Amino acid sequence: MTNKLLRRWRYLRDRRRIEADLAEEMRTHQAMAAREMERQGMTAEEAALAGRRAMGAMTQMQEEARGVWIWPWVESVWQDLGYAVRSFRRQPGFAAVAILALACGIGLNTSLFTVFNAVALRPWSVRDPARVVRVHGVLRDVVKQFDTISGFSAVEYRYLAEHTKSMSGLLLMRGEGSLHTDVGKARGQYVTANYFRVLDVEMERGRGFLAEEDRSESPEAVAVLSYTSWQNRFAADPAVLGRRIRVEEVPFTIVGVAPPDFGGTNPEPTDVWLPFSSMALLNPNDSWARTFLRDRNSCCADVSGRLAPGISRAQARAELGLLRADFYHQFGETSLGVVLTGTAPLQSIGRKAKNFYAVFALMFAGVMLVLLLACANVGNLLLARAAARRREIGVRLSLGAGRARVVRQLLTESLLLAGTASALGVFLAFVLPRPLFIRIAGVVSFPLRPDAVVLAFTLVLSALACAAFGLAPALHATRGNFSDSLKQRQVPARGRLCLRSVLLTVQVAVSAILLVGAGLMVRGVQHARTLDPGFAVEGVDSFAFEFPTSAYQTTRVAGFYDNLTRGLDALPGARPFGFTAVDPLGNTRGYTSFRLPGQDESHRNGILTNTVSAGYFEILRIAIVAGRNFAPADSAHDVLLINQAMADRYFPHESAIGKSVIVDKPQQIVGIVRNAHTWTLDEVEPALYFPISYGLPPRLLLSHTGANVAAVTALAKRLDPRVEMRATRLSDNLDQWLSATRIGALIAGLLGLLALSLAAIGVSGAFAYAVQQRTQEIGIRMALGARPAQVIALVFRSAGRSLAAGLALGLVGALGGSVLLRQYIFGLSHLDPVTYVAVLAALAAAGMAATWLPTRRAVQVDPIEALRQD
Amino acid sequence: MEKNSELLPGTLDLLILKALVHGTMHGYGIAQRLKEVSDDVLQVGESSLYPALQRLLLNGWVEAEWGTSQNNRRARFYHLTPLGRKQLGVERQEFQRMITAIQKVLETA
Repeated sequence: MTNKLLRRWRYLRDRRRIEADLAEEMRTHQAMAAREMERQGMTAEEAALAGRRAMGAMTQMQEEARGVWIWPWVESVWQDLGYAVRSFRRQPGFAAVAILALACGIGLNTSLFTVFNAVALRPWSVRDPARVVRVHGVLRDVVKQFDTISGFSAVEYRYLAEHTKSMSGLLLMRGEGSLHTDVGKARGQYVTANYFRVLDVEMERGRGFLAEEDRSESPEAVAVLSYTSWQNRFAADPAVLGRRIRVEEVPFTIVGVAPPDFGGTNPEPTDVWLPFSSMALLNPNDSWARTFLRDRNSCCADVSGRLAPGISRAQARAELGLLRADFYHQFGETSLGVVLTGTAPLQSIGRKAKNFYAVFALMFAGVMLVLLLACANVGNLLLARAAARRREIGVRLSLGAGRARVVRQLLTESLLLAGTASALGVFLAFVLPRPLFIRIAGVVSFPLRPDAVVLAFTLVLSALACAAFGLAPALHATRGNFSDSLKQRQVPARGRLCLRSVLLTVQVAVSAILLVGAGLMVRGVQHARTLDPGFAVEGVDSFAFEFPTSAYQTTRVAGFYDNLTRGLDALPGARPFGFTAVDPLGNTRGYTSFRLPGQDESHRNGILTNTVSAGYFEILRIAIVAGRNFAPADSAHDVLLINQAMADRYFPHESAIGKSVIVDKPQQIVGIVRNAHTWTLDEVEPALYFPISYGLPPRLLLSHTGANVAAVTALAKRLDPRVEMRATRLSDNLDQWLSATRIGALIAGLLGLLALSLAAIGVSGAFAYAVQQRTQEIGIRMALGARPAQVIALVFRSAGRSLAAGLALGLVGALGGSVLLRQYIFGLSHLDPVTYVAVLAALAAAGMAATWLPTRRAVQVDPIEALRQD
Repeated sequence: MEKNSELLPGTLDLLILKALVHGTMHGYGIAQRLKEVSDDVLQVGESSLYPALQRLLLNGWVEAEWGTSQNNRRARFYHLTPLGRKQLGVERQEFQRMITAIQKVLETA
């Protein structure tokens, strides 16, 4: 097949020579035949005549022989293309508008798909990525009451890795966030020794880990660098292997450098890989790190692996599920099996991912609508253009061109439009997604550029778009009676009017939907800005402390906070200050579960929690509505505070004060606080507050004054210079929280604006067409004494009905869409009258503007001119 | 001269391949040979011979070279490629199968 293509190509390359060969060959043939005839007794003249007669047919024969080599249509397509280019050059305005509209539609779709592809479709960049899977354990979530997924303990992983036959290799990994090294902070990942081998990553330098480097009984301090950290932190030092780096004060030897295209297996780029066994070296005082590799209850790390040859995902899932059941059986427990997924960052499991898909679906709906609008628009323009070309098309058809041939010619023009627009669209997709995504999501480890998959998507999309806007006009243009069209008598054909009305209706409806969506989002942002979060946001700083992990024990952390508290107490103007585990509006949520004393043992109610000091409620000015705040003696007692939402839900007809709830053990409710949006800006969920503990270093909340910031900085430095401190303003948190909505509103606003301009172009085109088509009729009416108002009414009637229908359809569609939108965008009211009125006004204004020019032309028609047009 | 239009489709390719088994030949030679061997039944005209030859070239079953004919004319000589030799076997078998099938129909139907 490929050889055939090659030969075909060679033919096209050398066709002149080959055709000359063929011609010569055939002449030879005829000469030989003539000789033969002469020999058989024909006279020379007769033979020559026969030869010449044969010559006449020769061109035809050559043509036939040539047709074997090239599909003759390749040539004619080339002709069509040249014709299309010439015809667009004659109407550059039309071509520019059409291409621009399509490029916007295709570019937006391609850009969004580029992001979707990077997030949800593209796997890790390893060899044969389709065979690499992630393994998730299935777990019944006690809080949310549905099946969820989890990682594995190291012990369970080892059991699976030793027994599996369906996987050719199984690996364990765990991201370690930020590590302090003597070459700066680095994102680390603990991995099993087989990590690079199973993923089949070819190292840039050195090697991956050896099995003996990952034994918990004899941990070794070795590290593999990422290509970027080798480049940036070691200046691509060729002698980097064997060098030492200090990670959390512990010296590690560099044994390898990963290749440039391998950014790791986390959503964020990994800077350094360490063997699991070194976890204990880095955290000598952390009991979890010491026992993680040996304790089967120590959770969790992620498992991934490569399917054995010939094994399907389903088979591997079945086998691993059975092995997991065996493992749990040893301890008299049961398990819910495993789930296998691909390795793209976003997988379709878990609640968060489902939300993500919903948001993507909404955004796709938005950009698809824009594309649809652009298609309807260009379709309408093409239709008007085809009407203007009826004479040309009529001539071609009467001269014997097949209808299919003319349709193809018209389609080629559409194809040229779509092709140029997609090229522009792909360019947009190269420059647009990355900066936008970084604005919204921060750092990304995956490349946000179109790849082959994206290009294929764009190709299919443009082909569909091309068919959508090109086919119907082309079919319409070549229909009907052509002797009529030769005379250029424009008989309004009912079918064509119908198609135009449909296109116009679609345009108006789609732009109404987009505009309402945009308007609602903008209003949502306005609304969110004026919302009272229920706690003091302005003027409060939030300090986070980071402790060098290897040097600190929990007791020392507690000691640090005690000293800090004493220091702040002594500081004039520092009070009130508070501690909290959860940063207000910092995008973290902790859940636990509890039961009420009367409830069954297995009963679990999921609930939001935070651990805070008494000062937390004071500095954030969250009022205690009943009972009391935490007291200094409380942390030893088992007491807690709840918010109003929890009191309303679980103690609706009684006072909650003094009642108990059972989390691990019974704890008494001593106070109820006012509802505050400290977790999200959505509706306040029921929540429990525990008295402060120092297992996780809590944040300090303090009034924002220059003296305070300086004092805390000095205090922390004095207590321990190795402790790092970061301060943020709560108002920044709030801004960040609103920024997603704001960027959403901005994007929606731009889409809406685009929709509006496309709609205006469409409407004006449609009216212009209506006027042009009826010029003669208008001329007669004017000649017979019709007033301009009557003529204007005539023009309006032709397009007004589709306008009204489009508006009605669009508003209904928008209502439906906004109900959906409301689930994902905070503060949106889907019945916001201001938006609807504004959209109606905007579309009406655009309609007015778009009809003004053609209508004026209509009443200025000179009756004599119009009648002469025939 | 154009009796060959009665040929079964694809048969001409087979006949040309067969004619080339014994050595290189130019286009006219191939036509002559087919005519002689078939006792003048198969008269292949240029209009079908040359497209067929182009088809064979395209499929890589024959190759062509310029040379000199017996009476000193420049002519293009065709010869079989190994692939063409294999194809001949395939087509022969296919043809045989077809003939047998047709005969069966003629005898029984």
